[in-house]
Amino acid sequence: MLQVTGKNERYRRQVDLVGADGQAALGRARVVIAGAGGLGSAIALYSAAAGIGQIRIIDCDTVEVSNLNRQILYRTGDIGTEKVTAAAKDLRALNPGIEIEPVQTRITAETAESLVEGADLVLDALDNYPARYALAHAAWDRGIPYFHGAVHGMYGQASTIIPGQSPCLRCIVPSPPASGATPILGVTTGVIGSIQATEAIKYLTNRGTLLLGRVLFWDGTRTEVEILSIQGDPVCPVCGGVS
Amino acid sequence: MVEGGRETNRTGSVMTVTVKSFATFREVMEMQIVLPFPEGATVRTLLADLTSRFDRLDEQLFAAPGTLRDFVNILKNGRNIDFLAGLETSLEDGDVIALFPPLAGG
Ligand SMILES: [Zn+2]
Repeated sequence: MLQVTGKNERYRRQVDLVGADGQAALGRARVVIAGAGGLGSAIALYSAAAGIGQIRIIDCDTVEVSNLNRQILYRTGDIGTEKVTAAAKDLRALNPGIEIEPVQTRITAETAESLVEGADLVLDALDNYPARYALAHAAWDRGIPYFHGAVHGMYGQASTIIPGQSPCLRCIVPSPPASGATPILGVTTGVIGSIQATEAIKYLTNRGTLLLGRVLFWDGTRTEVEILSIQGDPVCPVCGGVS
Repeated sequence: MVEGGRETNRTGSVMTVTVKSFATFREVMEMQIVLPFPEGATVRTLLADLTSRFDRLDEQLFAAPGTLRDFVNILKNGRNIDFLAGLETSLEDGDVIALFPPLAGG
């Protein structure tokens, strides 16, 4: 019989890196993955594989065939299914030892507060700024770290936001683009989602240096990364320009 | 690099500013360029210089003459010019100006 619950063996190759204490911290962690699209697919798969103990995954859409170039949580047979339902099935199959909470809803200023309640951190896998601002604000108010990511074509950006330790999302992106379908190569969401998941795992296991007050820009057309330090608005009503 | 930029700067007449572009702006301008400006130059001066060098940049940056498109983010040494003096933000020798359109997709 296949051993599916042998935690020690499942995580053997990473415990040397994160330590037994780090692995235990991952197992205790409660994270929110906001969006089950391209970024959310990479984030959720790596988070589940790493043994993050409780994953609340939120999306309001159903799987469409045009999602499948990048949303690697889904299979062709999932077309027409609620994304979070299909995602939960895939993630439980990957790691039965963790809890998946699928939430089928739209993220708005009204829903954001209850959606982040009780979370240790929030991973931003959204595709529009009104939802991002609502979620980031709800997280900030509760002192919850927020791991931002966004993509377009072969370009991506990521930044880690922790109340008191970095500027807020509005200070990092005060002038957002309009929402709408953008061209995206699947690998771009893989790169940025993986960076966000890396940041979250580092935070939970208290290892390494985070992208605080810094934005990572990924340029897949040149295969280049550049990181810019960003200072907030000195009179920002949310963060006061902490940098 | 600007020849003699630093030399001239000792007299206080010319400063050099590094401009970096990100994401889709890299499709219409250099990803990094170092430019000389006279003292008193502002971000507005810098953008006029850039749009004269890169034909397709103007329509990317401006909705109308003198009015930036909503999504254009400009940092001076890491601080958004929205939090400084906007297009009238003054340039200083050694400044790094970053231009980026935030990405939205997920
Ligand atoms: Zn702020």
